[in-house]
Amino acid sequence: MHLLFGCLLTFTAFSQDKDKFKFGKIDPKDFEKTKFELDTSAHAVVLADIGSSEFESERDHLEIRVKRTRRVKIVDKNGYDAATVEIYLSKNAQEEEKMISLKASSYNLENGKVVETKMESKSVFTDELSKNLIEKKFTLPAVKEGTIIEYTYTYSSPFYFHLEPWAFQGEYPRLWSEYSVTIPEFYDFIFLRQGYIPFEINGARQSDRRTYSLSYTPNGGAGRTEYTSISANTTTHRWAAKDVPALKEQAFTTTLNNHIAKVEFQLAAKRYPNSPIEPVMTTWPKLYETLMKDDEFGAALDKNNGYMGDVVESLTKDCTTDTAKARKIYNYVRQNFSCTEHSRLFMDKSLKTVFTSHNGSEADINLLLVAMLRKANLEANPVILSTRQHGITYEMYPLINKFNYTIASVNTQTGTYFMDASLSYLGFNKLDSRCYNGHARIISPAIPAVMFEADSLVEKKSTYVMLMGDSGVIKGSFQQRPSYFESCAIREKIKEKGKDEYFKPLAKEFGMETTISNGVIEDLDDHEVPVKLSYDFVMKPEADGILYINPMFMEAQRDNPFKSEERFYPVEMQNTYDETYTLNMTIPEGYEVDELPKPAIVQFNENDGVFQYLVQKSENQIQLRSRVKLNKATFAPAEYNSLRDFFDMIVKKQSEQIVLKKTK
Amino acid sequence: MSLFNNKLLGIFICIFYLQPAFAGDPDYNVSTIPAALKEKAHAVKRTEELIINVSSPSEQRVIHRFAITVLDAGGDEYARVIESYDKFRSIRSISGTLYGADGKQIKRLKQSDVEDLSGVGSSLMTDDRIKKHSFHYTVYPYTVEYEIEVKISNTFYLEGWIPQEGEEFGVEKSKLVVTVPLDFPLRFQSFHYKGEPVITTDKDSHTYTWDAKDITPLPDENYVPAWHRRTTSVLLAPASYEMQHYKGSMNTWEELSRSMYALNQGRDQLPDAVKQTVHQLTDGLSREEKITKLYHYVQEHTHYVSVQLGIGGWQTFDANYVATNGYGDCKALSNFTCSLLKEAGIPAYCVLVNSGKEQITFEEEFPSNQFDHMIACVPGEKDTTWLECTSQYLPAGYLSSFTNNRPVLLLTEKGSKLVHTPVYTMEQNLQLRNITATVNENGDLQLSANTHFTCLQQDYLQGMLHVLTREKQLEALKHDLPLASYDVNKFECKELPGCLPAIDELLEINARNYASISGKRMFITPNLLNKSIKRLDQTSARQSEILKRSSFIDADTVKIIVPAGYTAETVPAAVNLQSDFGTYSCSTTITGNVVTYIRNISMKSGLYPAASYPMLETFYAAIDKADRARVVLVKN
Repeated sequence: MHLLFGCLLTFTAFSQDKDKFKFGKIDPKDFEKTKFELDTSAHAVVLADIGSSEFESERDHLEIRVKRTRRVKIVDKNGYDAATVEIYLSKNAQEEEKMISLKASSYNLENGKVVETKMESKSVFTDELSKNLIEKKFTLPAVKEGTIIEYTYTYSSPFYFHLEPWAFQGEYPRLWSEYSVTIPEFYDFIFLRQGYIPFEINGARQSDRRTYSLSYTPNGGAGRTEYTSISANTTTHRWAAKDVPALKEQAFTTTLNNHIAKVEFQLAAKRYPNSPIEPVMTTWPKLYETLMKDDEFGAALDKNNGYMGDVVESLTKDCTTDTAKARKIYNYVRQNFSCTEHSRLFMDKSLKTVFTSHNGSEADINLLLVAMLRKANLEANPVILSTRQHGITYEMYPLINKFNYTIASVNTQTGTYFMDASLSYLGFNKLDSRCYNGHARIISPAIPAVMFEADSLVEKKSTYVMLMGDSGVIKGSFQQRPSYFESCAIREKIKEKGKDEYFKPLAKEFGMETTISNGVIEDLDDHEVPVKLSYDFVMKPEADGILYINPMFMEAQRDNPFKSEERFYPVEMQNTYDETYTLNMTIPEGYEVDELPKPAIVQFNENDGVFQYLVQKSENQIQLRSRVKLNKATFAPAEYNSLRDFFDMIVKKQSEQIVLKKTK
Repeated sequence: MSLFNNKLLGIFICIFYLQPAFAGDPDYNVSTIPAALKEKAHAVKRTEELIINVSSPSEQRVIHRFAITVLDAGGDEYARVIESYDKFRSIRSISGTLYGADGKQIKRLKQSDVEDLSGVGSSLMTDDRIKKHSFHYTVYPYTVEYEIEVKISNTFYLEGWIPQEGEEFGVEKSKLVVTVPLDFPLRFQSFHYKGEPVITTDKDSHTYTWDAKDITPLPDENYVPAWHRRTTSVLLAPASYEMQHYKGSMNTWEELSRSMYALNQGRDQLPDAVKQTVHQLTDGLSREEKITKLYHYVQEHTHYVSVQLGIGGWQTFDANYVATNGYGDCKALSNFTCSLLKEAGIPAYCVLVNSGKEQITFEEEFPSNQFDHMIACVPGEKDTTWLECTSQYLPAGYLSSFTNNRPVLLLTEKGSKLVHTPVYTMEQNLQLRNITATVNENGDLQLSANTHFTCLQQDYLQGMLHVLTREKQLEALKHDLPLASYDVNKFECKELPGCLPAIDELLEINARNYASISGKRMFITPNLLNKSIKRLDQTSARQSEILKRSSFIDADTVKIIVPAGYTAETVPAAVNLQSDFGTYSCSTTITGNVVTYIRNISMKSGLYPAASYPMLETFYAAIDKADRARVVLVKN
């Protein structure tokens, strides 16, 4: 991960490249095959994707003008999707982003000549997706295999604090992707850049002067609003990348967004004329203050909240310790409130509405939980984080829009506990694996960082199986503590289908004709620990004298989860593993051992993992123990092959058989 | 009742809207639900009234009131409202109330909680929007009560009545009440409904009432016909209707054919340039050549983009629109194709289809709007050519499993009966595979498989070849095969187009540890790649008929060379199975160090009685077992 703060000065003559891609200038040469059509099977190739964001005056205020020109060659029929374009415009109650101009054409090469088909303006549809989001949508006309499509649009945005990010990489390869931002001296933005590809132009700067008209309130809002026309320094920053391959998502990925080449911006400070610098992105402690004053976050947490008093009182009256109180309140909220939406971070309704309606977003529910814990005089705080799918957060920068999820924490004499009452299957002090995405912040005055690392999340599972012969059949008993998240899944399944439906399909998983009885699930209601499964089974072997038994049955790792031959970016698993399987078998009367699997111990990358496979025989007993332990959840691309081999070894050993023969 | 005219009806509804949805105090206490309805159910419908008031052929009001008790999380999906609306369908009101297990009211629906969303989905543009509401309650059991009123400005489609909304769902009572003007004949067909509706008549209208009580939950079953055939249901249709200014009728399929033809009439004018192209391409060619040529022209110059605006999505964009833009939906592309063919002097017709692979059950005896797709048909003296105009790659004359083997309606000026799309027989849907493989001392296996796929058995591969990039094809192959850990070394396909298309595939694979080695023994499953039939889950007594849609033949010949120095300890016995559903045989022999495995399966399609289900279970279980049988070799 490259993260660049500020820019390097480079002097590249990029203006010529820009001219090369002038809108509407299509040459028969442009239809020739590009390196991507020759090397890969791309369905479409982006010939040029050029965008800019510039601050401009609009009457008395500044707006951002966003321009984009994109030229795409549709290589084959499966690239037709690239001819349908969706542009999203935001709005709120007062202001909205507005499309100023939009043009699109298709170009086909007919008898050596470039023939243009213009899109009619009525082919652009507007769909109001929600209160705050408008979609402009169109499909270009006359698209065939080999067509070049081109569109250009400009829209204005009143949301000056949000400078459009730019992705240099995507579903289709790009020959040229270029973005520039022009920022007047009134604004300080920080730049966040990531990806694995080299840049042709890497943040080159050009200075200029421009006249802006704006009204503003000097001295940080203390003075009178002034209207002025002012000449200001501007800086244009430019990035460009050439011949960027497409990046495809593989299994075990947090989000491709963490890996594609892109640049993003964050407003750090405003410097209006005759005014002190007004920091926007400030410090973690100030973020704490802002959040706690925010009506949509912490403002209601410390109010009296008398309406919840009776409920909190009745929940906690019999509890003797703070931890017991916290647990009680947590379980109440978890079981009685349903989550309507996740990844909101901020509240959608008032605390009281959440309390009375018994539903809300994850932020609504967890902030209510914090308020209820505080009502019980506990030291409770919200915690903000970014889920794995949402991408990483930076410990260095207090960027609130990098976060998307709110949970709760409580400090008691026995320690700090984290809670997410929006997922009803989670026990006290348990979080879903989606929250294990590194850096998070506890919203208390010191706003301390807390790390939820996938490496620290161990999914532990142990299985014990006993086998013995009994007049022609093999009887066995199966006991298991599945891992925590497996247990959550089992609980959800049982909630939906019932206990019987859970055990019924298991018989199919045994190699031989098998019946299952006495299925028991313990700890079904204690969500803090994994469930405990047990059942008895009877297998009917074929009557031909030799018994072949896979000692691990359905617990054997049957497939290698790493299917691809290559890996282009890190493997990011959700957690680490520690799985133990033990078999005790009494050799059925009249049989003797003909063959046993050979023991093996394999270390992976020295200490990153281990696979033990131990087999012992004494008198008429066979004992077998298999343990798979991975100590890390994230692996570099260079480690991929050995990781894949490690799993191959596990699949191979765990398919080995015990062979028993009738004694003569 | 004589005062029950439209004007008063309006007032009546108004009063109703202010009152609780059901007159009197509803008793939603969960304890009053009969045990037979609760058992094996996630939800129980306590009461329901679906009231359809047709005031004229161009207007109907639908009032839907219901109360559903959700017993566990599996029933949450029934406790929400999702109503679509567009220019022809407006939602007049939605009200609702939530009750606890004891039947006491918890809260009422607030209008601000009703979400209003775009219903365009993956289309480029449609008129559809959606209103959505849920109480998001999770303390089980609970009861929701809703009342929704909708006004629809046509009678082309009349909502059907299916009180039981899913398998694990019980119904206490439900009622369908349809009021129509005296001169509006109501047509209906019912399933699992004993008797006839009660019909009452007053000065202006007829009222039809159906009601149902105590419907017990059904088990969740596979290979089933469409839901409306499995439970109490009533399908409704008008004799004649109005849609904007278009009048139509559907007493017979001929009438519906004529009406839909009229709706789309005169939309086949091509620009002159395209007319010229048609003649350049086809003049002097034979009829078959012309059809193929023009179908390819459509595939090369147009593609499918869903834009459905205007008359309920039933009137096509004209041929000129497609010629200009190069895209359109199924109607626009079918109409365009027919226009091209007409220009070349070949009569062709647009065809309405009920599309989809699964569970199609079409009511041939009940002329009504049962369609959701359009294709083109070119009738011929000897054989008819069918064209799927939204496909970029299907060969002319071939219909995939999306549209084959079903009744469809040709739209003609004089009206047409239902006709049947081609049936691909068992002998036409083949997968013939020849594998040679070598296993080494470590158990690694290298195989080379030559496979010939035809008709419906090639659909999946054909789609993959045309829709996915080479990279994605290989990625899919990495997940598709029943091998634990493997790499694909070679994947080559040759398409043999035609109205019965075929594909020859060559696959070379390296499968690590395919043979499991335990000491001196080697275990090999000789069925390398064809293990798709699995044992069925044990179920209680089968209730539904068994609908098997696909019929096919697979033939596999596998030769596996094993390392020298091994002797067979166990060789699976040959298996021969005969059943009403098909036949299966496999045999394994060993000569020297070569294992030869031969497997043949033929599966029949058809509708079988529920009583045959145990036979299907036995058949599948035996196949599953035979497919997994292993050869055990011992080192000398």
